[in-house]
Amino acid sequence: MMTSSALAGYLIVSGLLLTIGLIGFLVRRNLIVMFLCTELMFQGAAVAFVAIGRYLFDYSGQVMVIFILTVAAAEAALALALVVLLHRQRDTLDADAYGELYE
Amino acid sequence: MDLFLPYIACLTLVLALFVALRPTSLSLRIFMIVVGVSAAGWLIGLVTGSLSVFGDVSQGLFFFIFSVCAVAASLRMITHDRPVYSALYFVLVVLSTAGLFLLLEAEFMAFALIIVYAGAILITYMFVLMLANQSTDSNEQDSRATYDRVPREPAAAVGVGFLLLCLITGTVIGGSSSMPTQGSEQSQWATLEHLPKQFQASVLELDSTFPWPPISSPQGNMIRHEGDESYIVSSEGKTLVLPDELLPRNTQQVGWSLVNEFPVSLELAGVILLMAMFGAAILARRAIEIGEREKQRILLGNETESEEGNSGDQS
Repeated sequence: MMTSSALAGYLIVSGLLLTIGLIGFLVRRNLIVMFLCTELMFQGAAVAFVAIGRYLFDYSGQVMVIFILTVAAAEAALALALVVLLHRQRDTLDADAYGELYE
Repeated sequence: MDLFLPYIACLTLVLALFVALRPTSLSLRIFMIVVGVSAAGWLIGLVTGSLSVFGDVSQGLFFFIFSVCAVAASLRMITHDRPVYSALYFVLVVLSTAGLFLLLEAEFMAFALIIVYAGAILITYMFVLMLANQSTDSNEQDSRATYDRVPREPAAAVGVGFLLLCLITGTVIGGSSSMPTQGSEQSQWATLEHLPKQFQASVLELDSTFPWPPISSPQGNMIRHEGDESYIVSSEGKTLVLPDELLPRNTQQVGWSLVNEFPVSLELAGVILLMAMFGAAILARRAIEIGEREKQRILLGNETESEEGNSGDQS
């Protein structure tokens, strides 16, 4: 059994991970680290899903984590392919260097 | 609960993070991260109250250790100025999250997370990091690139983060009194009825004289509940109390929930993965420019080769 205080603890941890991921996404200028920070936000969401699923004895929460894993894997593959493509053009990973992407 | 102390903890955390993000000396940054982690631990302690709310003090201790580890690793991840170390600290976050999942009795998700995240996705990140860092930093004195050391608008980002963290904390603390009533543990038994072979085998192992199948209750369930106990009734009125060991395992429950409640989403997940694979292959492929004449030469060369092959076969 899980008390609501324990659930609140898990939700705070999930909120902390989400916030730190958001700050990292806004602050870092390296494209790859920015994508890593989105993965950190995914982790926060996953913790909230599993904790609430456990509290309600509903296994849909864990199924959602499977879908989060799927989306994270797809995003990693596509985003990293794009990063490799951009890196070939400008030879840098600085997100600010791509500020004027117009042609 | 009063919200003043939790907000102070949030403020301490983001201020420490703000200092740690700036390119100052390493010892000051480490100290600030320690301050931030203590603030996060204080916040978690304020919200949960005591370790005994987890049912067991050792469980509460594990929860505290894993969550502090996760927060510390994530703070170090976004403040580290070498991307490869950031990726390694993210592995630590994944491992701590897997520990939290184990505490939540989600064993399958815990190990899937380690295998898929730490084993597959992070390897992809490391691979691209090493591929990309190779050419940029080879001729610089300091191997750390400037864009990794200098943050972009840390004050604004930390402000937004503070607001979001305060909102989450306020909602969780304010809503903890009005959280939905806890689901009943007995709802887990419903999956067992959908696994008829396992159901029958485990019941017959428990009591080989039980006349199979049990009759359904008026609500249509074979497994009935009374108080804390779950039992089945045979057609002759014989009852058998089911012990907790017969509950389906975590993997069975998740699998049943996946194929029973979300079949379309499961198919869509497969399509998403396939499309991502195609997209990545097309994006990362290096296009080779071939002139018209070369194309013709290649085509003609193939034709003459195949003609030669054919004539060779015929003779």
